[in-house]
Amino acid sequence: MRARCTADVEWDAGDLGCGDLVLELMIRVTAMAPGQVLRLVALDPGARADIPAWCRMTGHTLVEEQPPLYLIRRRGT
Amino acid sequence: MANKFCVSITHAKDNTDKATVGFVVANAAVGSGKETLVFLSVEGVRLSQKGFADSIHEQGFAPLKELMDNFAKAGGTMYVCSPCFKKRALDENSLVAGAAVVGGAKLVEFLSDGSPCISY
Repeated sequence: MRARCTADVEWDAGDLGCGDLVLELMIRVTAMAPGQVLRLVALDPGARADIPAWCRMTGHTLVEEQPPLYLIRRRGT
Repeated sequence: MANKFCVSITHAKDNTDKATVGFVVANAAVGSGKETLVFLSVEGVRLSQKGFADSIHEQGFAPLKELMDNFAKAGGTMYVCSPCFKKRALDENSLVAGAAVVGGAKLVEFLSDGSPCISY
């Protein structure tokens, strides 16, 4: 499965889920430059719902979702 | 959408499952950019003491100490119910990072801005 968008940063979260997943995700995305794209692999079954919700709440853009693969663009500010 | 989130935890070693899941959800809230409060009351106040959570590791979850440390590092706050704390004769000099002993008014103030609250 190949994503169409080029990623700047990659993170394989394995089976991390729920709070463990989004807390680490926040730390990693915050460390990125505005506009950069994270290629995330998240195997937890809850991630399918959690990742889009997290992006809506935090203002980051979910560029593409093909579970377990997600491309997230860091917001501008 | 409210920018605050409260997790109320009333258990410690009497129900390690609830204590652990409470902090997992709190980490989801703080990790989602919410100003997050964990309110420890009843038996949950014991979690405010350094070392108390060190032996709690619920199957399928990260160790509770790790969850609590991550919560505090991410900027989460813990309010510890003052009367529950005093009843158990706990030590205010042994509070974990991010914890403060407070009365009910502080909790009410936090919730009064429209914060949701989930209880364990």
